[in-house]
Order: sequence, then structure tokens, then C-alpha cells
Amino acid sequence: MRKFLPVEDLARDERFNQITMNDRMADQRTAITTDSRPSRAANRIVPSRADASDAARGLMHGIFVGEIQALEGAGRTCWDFTTGSEAPFELKLDMARQCWDEARHVEISCKLSDWMGSEIGEYAENTVLFQAACSNDPVLRLAGVNRALEGLAIDVFTTMKEFGEVAGDQYLEFAEDWMLADEVTHVKMGSDWLRKITENDPERRKKALDFQSVVDKLFSYGGTRSESQESPIGLARRFRELAGFDDQEIDVIADLSLAALEERKAAVLEAQAALN
Amino acid sequence: MADSKKPRAPFAPWDRRELPGLFSVEESARRVGAYKWCELKLFEALGGWIATVPELDVKMRLGAHCYKHAWHAELWHKRLPELREMNPDRLTVAPNEHMVRFIEALTEPEAPELTIEKLVGVYRVFIPHFISAYTFHLNNTSDITDAPTMRSLRFVLQDEFEDWRDGEMLIQSLIETPSEVDRATNHQASLEKILLAAGGITGSGTIGFNTPEHEGALI
Repeated sequence: MRKFLPVEDLARDERFNQITMNDRMADQRTAITTDSRPSRAANRIVPSRADASDAARGLMHGIFVGEIQALEGAGRTCWDFTTGSEAPFELKLDMARQCWDEARHVEISCKLSDWMGSEIGEYAENTVLFQAACSNDPVLRLAGVNRALEGLAIDVFTTMKEFGEVAGDQYLEFAEDWMLADEVTHVKMGSDWLRKITENDPERRKKALDFQSVVDKLFSYGGTRSESQESPIGLARRFRELAGFDDQEIDVIADLSLAALEERKAAVLEAQAALN
Repeated sequence: MADSKKPRAPFAPWDRRELPGLFSVEESARRVGAYKWCELKLFEALGGWIATVPELDVKMRLGAHCYKHAWHAELWHKRLPELREMNPDRLTVAPNEHMVRFIEALTEPEAPELTIEKLVGVYRVFIPHFISAYTFHLNNTSDITDAPTMRSLRFVLQDEFEDWRDGEMLIQSLIETPSEVDRATNHQASLEKILLAAGGITGSGTIGFNTPEHEGALI
């Protein structure tokens, strides 16, 4: 078995349809919407939204494939690096623990998707999470996956948990709350290891944080996640604090996300003007 | 209630534990070091394979088992200093070069259509050998002096039995044709021959027999 598996070699059965972030960004249906219906003025996934069920199912499928890739990424970190010289034994133990957690999340996601009425492969699989897990530096993987993407997962699970709560769906709320607990642990793992490994290597720490920022920006694309109600997913400040983010770090992500949202709104206006 | 001043035997009539054991502190540490090395190699391989298997149920099972073997490695890592090995890395080694070769052969399959080979290597070869090695240690070490190792062995063995059953059921569910039976048995045989030369998880004497090196058996 090779070290460092390229994203295109991820093994899937025939139900899955994989796309890259480039594919997604090039798709005019998702990149720019001209939908100006009042119901979309507040994009947060709430039961009152006309398309709430489908939006929640789509998000749930996104969580499902994201969990698969998180499982695969943590597993590859166990394999890709030599124990001791390239990655500490204890870091690998944490990654193995994350494998088990992510495997449970895949199981939970399957059950929830079934509960919500969708099927495996009903939506496309964006493989960007695994791409962030392909760095040849384990610290960059921790920054990109555990801090940026698992941080996003905290936001997503908080939003879905609140959706379940408002919708009176205790099954959804229960499961999301349990996954949220695990994600806080994973983000904290990333924060702790990042600080520990780069304690005496400021250059490596900067490189890792820069990489995290790139991934954060990528996932703020279109203002998908921000503190504004216009974003489908909120920013879960409290749980991020529990996971080791300080106020300044959360503010940076909040600003980044709002800027992305404003960019998107400007692009929508531009597209609408062009149509008129 | 009985008289609290009345002397009682230090060992109750039902407590049949004995002091003598087969292993010295050094030999117990050597074995524990080999356990850690093998469990480490196993959890690394299971983690690496997750992305290479297309079957969703297998993918998830490998994720769960990856952690279990990492936890076993951690248990043995923590036990080593208690066995007077203050530098656990010194004893975290393969028992011999044949075991290194076994790990190389075990982890060779990568392609998505080789799930049977991946699972056979782990669940029909490696884990049964773990069960043998751990059982031998549990049954032969001192009930009293090596009780901490025995406690870990019992936890670990419970995992190994459960994982072996999970893996065997997955293999049986994947094998659908006679040629796939051949694939499984051929791969099992080739790996078993390497482990025969290795003498088991801790090398010659893993389960009490001082297996001689079978020169030429691998070629």
C-alpha cells in the first residue's frame, strides 16, 4: 500500500458521484443564484423555509460524505507517516481514536439520512475534505482538517441540532448533539497538537495556520457559514471556544465568512443586473 | 458478623492463584514490546486501508478496529516502564526479520478490488496469532506478580475475539465464488508461511514451542 493516496483514488461503490471544489464552483446553479424569493432572504436552515426539508436532506448528505472522508483522512494519517520520526506515537493514537469516532458518525449519518428520507448518492460528493487531508506534513493536516473542517463541522452540527430542536425532531437533535460532542474533541485535538508540535518552530506553525486559513476561506465560499442569518450555517462560537479557539481566532473566521457573504451578494446582484 | 479479630488466611479457599510464572520480568517486557510493535503495525495498516476499500460497511468496521488496536498498543506502551523498560521504544521492535517481512506482505494489497486479501491477512492470519500469543501469556504468567499484564491481556483478548468474529463474517459475506475461496486461501497460506518462519507474534516460542527456523520454507 502506497503512502499518500491521491484523492482520485478514494474507493467508493457505484452509488457515489464525486465532484471537486472546482466542479462545484464552476456550476452556475450553485455558484450564483438568481432566486430572489422572500423565503430565501434568510438562508439559515429553519423549518419555516419553503425548501427546508430538501435543504436539510442535502446538508445531511454533505455531512455523511464529509464523515466518510474524515474517517479516511484520519486513517491515512495513521499510515502515511513513520511513527516517531514523522508523527508522534500519541498523535497517531488520537488519529486512530478519530477513526472510530468518524466511523460512528458515518453510521449515525446513514441512520439520519434514512430517517429524513434520502438515499446514499442522492447528492454529489465534494471531495475537498480529503484533499485537505493529503498534505505531506501532519501538522498541516491537523490545521486543515481538525481545526478548519472539523471546526466547520461544529458549526454545521450546531445548526442541524437547532433545526431539529425548532422542528420538534428529537431523533435528529439527539444524534447531532452526540456528534457535536465528538467534533469538539477532534478540534481540540488539532489545537493541542498544533501548539505542542510547533512550540519551538514558529515558521511551521505559521505555515499550518496559513493553510488553515486557506481551508477556512474555501469553506466560507459564498457565505455558506457566517453569523448572519443570510448564511445557511451559523458560526458556533461557544463550542469553538470549548475546542480551543480563542476569541481572536473566532473573530477572524467570522470576518472572513461575512466578507465571503458580501462577495456572494454582490455577485448575485451583478448576475441579476445582467439578466435584466 | 464474624469476629473481626479472628485471623483469616491471606488467600481465601477459592483463590487458587499461584506465585510462580513462566516469564521473568525481562521476558515479559520483551513480549510486551513485541505486542506493541505488532499492534502498532496493525492499526496503521487498518487506518491506511480505510480509504482503499469501496464497501461502506467494511470501511466503517476498519475504522472502529483501527482504534481498538491503537488502544492495545497504548496499553502495552504504558506497561513497558512498569516492567523496568524506561525507554519503551527500545523494546518496541519486531521479534525478527520474518515478522517485518510479514507486515510488508500483509500491507501489500491496495487496489479496491482486493478487500478479501486485506481482510484475510488481518482476520484469518494476524488476529488468530494475536489470540494465541495473548492466551499463552495469560495462561502461563504469574497470577500474582504479573497481574497488571493479565488484566490488560483479558481486555485485549475480548477485543481480539470480537474483531476476529466481525472480520470473519465480513470475509464470508464477500466471498461469492469458488475462485474467491481460492483467492482467500492462497493469500492466507502465503502469509501463514511467513509467520511460520517468524515463529509467531513474539518470535520463536510464542506459544511455548521453540519453533526452529524453517530455512527455505518461504521460497
